[in-house]
Amino acid sequence: MKNKTLLIISREYLTRIQKKSFIIITILMPILLVAMIVLPALLIVMNEQKQYSRILVVDESEVFINNFTDNDHYEFSYRSGDIEQIKNEAFDQDYDVVLQILSNSQGVRSNIYYRKNLPSGLQSEVENQMDDIFFNQLLKDSLHIDPTRFEDMQKLAKAESTTIQIDEKGAEKEHDAEVNQIFGMMCGIIIYFIIILFASQVLRGVLEEKSNRIVEVLLSSVKPTQLLVGKIVGIAMVGLTQLVIWAALSGAILLGIQLAAPDLFRPDTMETIAETPGVNLPNTASIDVAPDNIFTMIQNYFAVSFGVIIVSFVFFFIVGYLIYSTLYAATGSVVDNESDSQQYTMPITIPLILAIVFVPSIATNPDGTLAFWLSMIPLTSPIAMMVRLPSGVHAWELLLSMGLALAFLIFCIWFAAKIYRIGIMTYGKKPSWKTIFRWLRM
Amino acid sequence: MNIIDVQDITKCYGDFKALDSVSLSVPQGCVFGLLGPNGAGKTTLIRILMRISAPDKGQVLFKGHPMVADDVYDMGYLPEERGLYKKMKTGEQAMYLARLKGLDRQEAYTRLREKFEQFGMMDWWNKPVEELSKGMQQKVQFITTILHKPSFLILDEPFSGFDPINANLLKEEVLKLKEEGTTIVLSTHNMASVEEICDHIALINRSRKILEGDIFEVKNRFKKNLFSVETTDVSNTLLHQLENQQYQVCSQHTNKFYTRLEIKIPDTRTSNDLLQLFMQYAEIHAFNEIMPTMNEIFIEQVERANQQPSHEE
Repeated sequence: MKNKTLLIISREYLTRIQKKSFIIITILMPILLVAMIVLPALLIVMNEQKQYSRILVVDESEVFINNFTDNDHYEFSYRSGDIEQIKNEAFDQDYDVVLQILSNSQGVRSNIYYRKNLPSGLQSEVENQMDDIFFNQLLKDSLHIDPTRFEDMQKLAKAESTTIQIDEKGAEKEHDAEVNQIFGMMCGIIIYFIIILFASQVLRGVLEEKSNRIVEVLLSSVKPTQLLVGKIVGIAMVGLTQLVIWAALSGAILLGIQLAAPDLFRPDTMETIAETPGVNLPNTASIDVAPDNIFTMIQNYFAVSFGVIIVSFVFFFIVGYLIYSTLYAATGSVVDNESDSQQYTMPITIPLILAIVFVPSIATNPDGTLAFWLSMIPLTSPIAMMVRLPSGVHAWELLLSMGLALAFLIFCIWFAAKIYRIGIMTYGKKPSWKTIFRWLRM
Repeated sequence: MNIIDVQDITKCYGDFKALDSVSLSVPQGCVFGLLGPNGAGKTTLIRILMRISAPDKGQVLFKGHPMVADDVYDMGYLPEERGLYKKMKTGEQAMYLARLKGLDRQEAYTRLREKFEQFGMMDWWNKPVEELSKGMQQKVQFITTILHKPSFLILDEPFSGFDPINANLLKEEVLKLKEEGTTIVLSTHNMASVEEICDHIALINRSRKILEGDIFEVKNRFKKNLFSVETTDVSNTLLHQLENQQYQVCSQHTNKFYTRLEIKIPDTRTSNDLLQLFMQYAEIHAFNEIMPTMNEIFIEQVERANQQPSHEE
């Protein structure tokens, strides 16, 4: 009898991974994911490689003459005389830009003349340098302070802070609250998507067999529970396969890019990305940690040991998927078509949506009442507990949450088996909730 | 010997009694017609026989022993509501269904190739089922039902959806299976096919069995002593004599060549008496007994049962 279940699992698995849509999504997803990480970095690097600009400075104030600093991208030359004449000649002499600095009593103004394109970033570069030069000039002239001394003082006066959590035993651990929040939210969201993507496939699969009317043929060879277990396990394996391929492909692509363009992920590039509006990487991602002890680095970030997080993630991933897929299977068995199923999935899906809506508030206040209860209720706990976990929870809370989820899963399996057994053979009228409760007693 | 003994089975769905103390026996090697109006409980009974659902009361004996789970590997079932995975390739799907019935991969493959070739369906092996015509799909379903060579087979309305040619092909296939020793339960509303291929019948009405037996025995039981006589001339004297001796002329048809009379013989007389009477007055072309058709028996018995106050012991 066991190998019948295996046979069902392998059919569920093979037919799904052979689908074109599966193959396309499996390959495209990591490419998109990598593109999301790489493109901003690439844009910044490309920006840096902009052409070399030669700037001709015509300074009427004389404050800036010979004070601009040349670098990899800008070269400054100086000339004085009639601006109109210089403008006419400069572009023929291979200058890209003519910078005219005017001075009056209110401060400094400048005009940037260019012919074809204004190199991007040139204006801000010029403005920044002018600010510094002008500021240093003011320090020297008005306050009589040596600019180099001022710079030293500025460095000296910089304050830095580290967040340190003290656990019950008094052990201290450096970690970053913000990283915890983001990591927790990521775990929660991944579990949410896994449940949405794959548990709903169980519903569709059950419904397919029922509306196809193949189910009666199948049930003359196997038991309903074998069919149900085969489907749930088969789809879980499809999900795992997809996750593994996604992780491996993303990793391989990132590694390839790293080898091809080692400069792309320099910390300063990453920092620039973090500062780019719209890209919300944690700006702590590139903090000064030697790359050779990345694991210690990860370990240091979290309030809970990394091992516990991994084990809990796997646990809630499996239990969360099983809870929702068994409930969805029961739903699929009582209806005749997909549009009818919504009426019955509503009470199951609402907790899931609530959990995902509350993810940000759980992350910002992981020890609050809301976070606590959401991480105890089995329909929301796989998501809520994973969001809380990196910020640290008591061992009893984690164990209680896991225990409740397991107990609820056992209930779900019993419930789904009862409903499925009868529902799968019942066609026509949608059963009322009352009818369904009667099935439970049959 | 009976391959199936249904013993006093009752099955309820909530308040509804789908089967009420039903007992029947399917003799080995016969084609058994399971008859009954829609909603009588046939499908419920079939599902219990296939162990898809369990009875509330009573038991089923298979080859003399109480039926166990592994017996389903010796049984084949073609449900009335049948379907296939639409997107799955035909050959792959047939392999899957065959292996669920316990055939190993190699055996399933060899037998399927053979059957597909026999039915001229090799071109369809790699096509998804949704590209097949309905008749083709029915063939695939039939093949997968019998592939594991079960000794007991249930076919629920097997002829629906087949054109006359394919229906005939299927009928021949059923008779061939019977010759090979397979016992077949045929659930159908098609009385013509019951007459043609069934040896035994059982009639279920309103959750109860109301009739069971060998098809000739059943017909014999319900015959009405009706005889048909074809003769050249029907004189008034003859008609007068028939009336005198309590023969009842039910109908009289005359065509160009002869007159055909349908006559009911009273219990006090025999067919020979009738024949002798005719011989005195007319020339007889044909003389035979009119047996009731299964259709007539079906309608009559169901109507009779429905007139009785139902569901009382």
